[in-house]
Amino acid sequence: MHRYIWLVPLLPLLGAAVNGLLGRRFRFSERLVGSIGVGSVALAFLISLAAVVSYGQNVWPRPYVTSEDGAFSYTWIPGGAVELTQGEAERARAGGAAAARGQGSVLDVEWSYQLDALSSIFMLIITGVGLCIFVFATGYMHGDKGFYRFFAYLGLFMFSMLVLVMGSNFMMMFVGWEGVGLCSYLLIGYYFDRREAGDASRKAFITNRIGDFGFALAVFAVIATFGTTQYTAVFEQASSFPVETMLGATTWGIMSWIALGLFVGACGKSAQIPLYVWLPDAMAGPTPVSALIHAATMVTAGLYMVTRCNVIFQHSQAMMTVVAVVGALTALFAATVGITQNDIKKVLAYSTVSQLGFMFLACGVGAFVVGIFHVMTHAFFKALMFLGAGSVIHAMHHEQDMRRMGGLRKYMPKTYWTFFAGWLAICGVIPFSGFWSKDEILWNAASTEYVSGGWLLWLVATLAATCTAFYMTRLMALTFWGKERFLEVRAGGQADEAHAQAYADGEAAAHTAESPSVGDRPHHGPEERVGAAHALESAALGEPEGVDARGHDIHDRHDPGDAAGHGHHPHGSVLPHESPRSMWVPLAALAVLATVGGLVGISPAFAGGAHVGGKLNIVNWLDPVIWNPATGQFGKHTPAQVSALAARDKQTAGHEAARQEGSHSAPLATRTDDEHVAPVAGGEHAPSGGEHAEAPLPYGGETRFNLAHSVQHLLGDSHAAAEWFFIVVSLLVAGFGIWLGFLFYVWRPHLPELWARRLGPLYRASFNKYWVDELYGALFTRRTMDAARGVYATDSRVIDGAVNGAAWLTRQLSRFTGNADRLVVDGAVNAVAGFVKLLMSPLFRAAQTGLTANYGLAMLLGLVGAVGLFFGPEIWDNLKSVIGNMFAFAF
Amino acid sequence: MNSLFTPALLLLQGSMLDNMSEGVLRPDLSKFLIIAALLFAVGVAGVLTRRNIIVIFMSIELILNAANLNFIAFSRYLQETGHANAVAGQVFTVFIIVVAAAEAAIGLGLVIALYRNRETIFVDKIDLLKW
Amino acid sequence: MVLHGWESVFFWVFALAALVAGLLTVMARNAVHSALFLISALISVAALFVLLGAEFIAGVQILVYVGGVMVLFLFVIMLVNVGAEEREQEELFNRPAQVTAAVCFAALLVFGLFYAINQSAGRFLPDASEEAPAAARGERLRRAETRVSNISEDTQRVGSSLYRYGALPFEIASVLLLVAIVGSVLLARTAKQELAADDVDPLAVSDLSAAGELTPAEIEAAARRAHADDVWEQSKS
Repeated sequence: MHRYIWLVPLLPLLGAAVNGLLGRRFRFSERLVGSIGVGSVALAFLISLAAVVSYGQNVWPRPYVTSEDGAFSYTWIPGGAVELTQGEAERARAGGAAAARGQGSVLDVEWSYQLDALSSIFMLIITGVGLCIFVFATGYMHGDKGFYRFFAYLGLFMFSMLVLVMGSNFMMMFVGWEGVGLCSYLLIGYYFDRREAGDASRKAFITNRIGDFGFALAVFAVIATFGTTQYTAVFEQASSFPVETMLGATTWGIMSWIALGLFVGACGKSAQIPLYVWLPDAMAGPTPVSALIHAATMVTAGLYMVTRCNVIFQHSQAMMTVVAVVGALTALFAATVGITQNDIKKVLAYSTVSQLGFMFLACGVGAFVVGIFHVMTHAFFKALMFLGAGSVIHAMHHEQDMRRMGGLRKYMPKTYWTFFAGWLAICGVIPFSGFWSKDEILWNAASTEYVSGGWLLWLVATLAATCTAFYMTRLMALTFWGKERFLEVRAGGQADEAHAQAYADGEAAAHTAESPSVGDRPHHGPEERVGAAHALESAALGEPEGVDARGHDIHDRHDPGDAAGHGHHPHGSVLPHESPRSMWVPLAALAVLATVGGLVGISPAFAGGAHVGGKLNIVNWLDPVIWNPATGQFGKHTPAQVSALAARDKQTAGHEAARQEGSHSAPLATRTDDEHVAPVAGGEHAPSGGEHAEAPLPYGGETRFNLAHSVQHLLGDSHAAAEWFFIVVSLLVAGFGIWLGFLFYVWRPHLPELWARRLGPLYRASFNKYWVDELYGALFTRRTMDAARGVYATDSRVIDGAVNGAAWLTRQLSRFTGNADRLVVDGAVNAVAGFVKLLMSPLFRAAQTGLTANYGLAMLLGLVGAVGLFFGPEIWDNLKSVIGNMFAFAF
Repeated sequence: MNSLFTPALLLLQGSMLDNMSEGVLRPDLSKFLIIAALLFAVGVAGVLTRRNIIVIFMSIELILNAANLNFIAFSRYLQETGHANAVAGQVFTVFIIVVAAAEAAIGLGLVIALYRNRETIFVDKIDLLKW
Repeated sequence: MVLHGWESVFFWVFALAALVAGLLTVMARNAVHSALFLISALISVAALFVLLGAEFIAGVQILVYVGGVMVLFLFVIMLVNVGAEEREQEELFNRPAQVTAAVCFAALLVFGLFYAINQSAGRFLPDASEEAPAAARGERLRRAETRVSNISEDTQRVGSSLYRYGALPFEIASVLLLVAIVGSVLLARTAKQELAADDVDPLAVSDLSAAGELTPAEIEAAARRAHADDVWEQSKS
């Protein structure tokens, strides 16, 4: 079945093509568009599920590349000679085979798909979570005029994302990378008649361009260094390059440069400091988009890339440190911003940024597997929460301000309970999925050997985790518990009058317009832009902050002709209601996953100190993808284990040879099992702690202060005890955050205002997102505008001036020559004419008939004369002789 | 009287007949040139005799084609005798075709402008040259 | 350079066709018929080109002349067709004196040219390939087997010659075509279309209004545009 993985990206593309190209022309009904979209993704999901199962049984742990198997390949960019100009010194130092590979190479870029431990996980997440979101979107986007467009974009996005993770080389990853960037732009700007949506989409696109530039440079460097883009070949060569450590011979070499470029790209796509600014604004898109792109899939592309290139990253200790530090800072930074936001989607957006920071932290401390594990659990619970938020927004008639919610538990129990599961998962309550991955991240940060100062990273991450628990509890309290504030706010008040009026206007405009156009909905004034700084005073309930909220309400709504019957009178019957089945069923599915999804990576501490479950444990499953700097091999085996494996391989080979001699019918699959699966599935072999304790430091050097080791030492050198210690700490931290949230927003609701006043500057900084947007605006955006204005001025003054000056000069010259012509030339001609007229008027007048035919005849005459001049005498002589002969004959 | 028909007999029996049949059965460069000359003459006659300006333009095309035929014939001739740049004639022909196309575009634009102003396309009605 | 066998048959067929079609072009009463006969003549000449081994030029001839120029001719004929000739209300030819003179001189020219051609025919250089025509033909066959057709080779040579020795004329020709396009557009514009442009000459407006071809509103609009132009220019200086 794994031979058919090329179908997986193809199906969503087909669905998108059908919806996008035919949907409008043939006025597809929503049901048809929805079934095409959902059907194509469901089929892709089933195929990828079957493919992954079959891959796991037959091929794992080797990567499966379709072109090598002949299942699917196409030479996308055929042959170009590449001279390897980078990394010569490294290659020479790596010596032997790598150097012998020569200084030149032929770059053939294939279009083929790679299925391995990493891409299989991403395939399942993308198609599986994507399927839930597609189903949800059929309910959420119900009644929208651009239904077909929406599903076309979503399908295109699925295709791009699948190409990104399934491609077998950097070029295909780049195609997918740009593709998801494009689709993100299209989907954020889906309500393109809204100014803030257009601004947000452009912001996302431009910010991503900065990252993509780094990524592109990295790809060029890869080509210049390795002469190929195929993952397997690149990573095989990269393995033999010397590691660039902080203390070693090279601190910052070619591998660090490549890793830096890649990481800049990852920062852009995965919203890390300093390129995270687009993600919160991206909430201007429809909520399913936020769930699909900005929580579950696209933003994890950076993680995918970093993990895919872990060989390169692990070759540079400096870059590992950078990744870890950026991740930890982003986690804390975004978490603190999330505490004070009032828009439910904004809170979730900052939460996403924060969680992505956790993942990068995991990668930076060398725990790539755990990073991917967190990607997976995060995809479950964050998609769940975004869809839940979408359900709430749907029920609240597109109200996104949490201060106008409250007590929704009574009205939408299904949404509430599924959201509840997501809340527990993200807070890290045992045994929900978030706990397992977050705990592993914290443990790895504390015990890392890859970077020094792991304890600091652990501290920052723990703080961020506390904040996470706090703001998520706040979100739950404001949305689902407490007073039903939407009743109070709607009851009256100035802002609400305006709101109702504006809604009526918007509705009238939408009724008159036939198709979605810019004039369809009222424009926003500049003061209504998202991201405008809000004064602290406006934080009071129902005050002009509502400007923003109102904007959402008017615009981010369904067509008023919504058949669900709730869109008509937002200020009349205001009671929220449970969402339709198409919306809560995906929620339920995701809730189940968010609850139990973490069990694939259950901590060794809970299972007798080993990664149980064989291949089914995500740590063992991903093991063959991860390079181990201690051994220079893929897979986290100690050198002793590697030599043991080699010995066993040799033994097996000998055995194999014997068996080959005996019978030729030995099935290939069993051989594979013998050689690879058995030893690696014995990844249960050693308790991970033992590994950490015994393994040599990945980058050599001396042992530095290591929090986990110190704790272990204090607890009597028991690895399990140390691990338990950190589990308890992370649980306590989560509990503390939740308790704080309850204290502030359930038990003592007056506390938030009090503390906001008491911590005034801090509160304002967090509320205004540390003014980063304003800073970027002043530093970059305005400078760019100034530069553009300068260029324009140059163009209009200098260049246009030169052109106009040339024109002016020409005109003056022509005036001069005109005068000269009239006076001198015309004068001469007229004089001659007068002279001729005087002398031979009658003769010439007769010749000038004015008829072109006559003039032509004169020309012909000239031609005949010319011929006559050449041959006339000859002809005349001949004629004479002929005539003479004739006379002679006659007489 | 006998002597009167001698040239005719010579014409019918002698080498002249052989030459003629040889020329017809195996046409060489000169036959192409003759055809081109005839086409040229037909075109010239058309230009000078017709009144309709559009037909005059068409006759000019005929003249240009006669010239093209000459160029191509000489090009082939040079090709086979191995002298000079053999395809120069073809290159020239390309340019002639380009010029002919430009001439037709401009000329027909003129015809339309003329028709709009004078409501005639007969050259003998257009005698502004005689002021 | 001598044609053999079927080639000579085709030569005479197409040569005569070209001549007859050319003659009919000149003689036809209906201009549309003229154009159709001219198309026949052009195609016959294209066939002669093929016989001469200039396949590329033959293709160009058919594409450009028959496909482009002649269609243009037919359009214009349809646009300005007066029909008076067909109804025999108008004389087809010029005055008899002119016709007679023209035909006489043309005949004289043909006579002279024939003489010249016949005189020089004997002086033509000997045909290099005639010594071994079979070998030449054999070579051509072999070339066909290598799937490098005569046409592509010929075209390649024309192309390389065109770009190697005729690059400058080539560019000039492209400018010529551009000028022809712009010129024909300008020539075919009506007075109203002329006024619709923003860069209209004030003199032209006054001429047209003097001729009474414009409504006052149009004159005013044009004057306003012209005035705006002046204002713009003043602001520049």
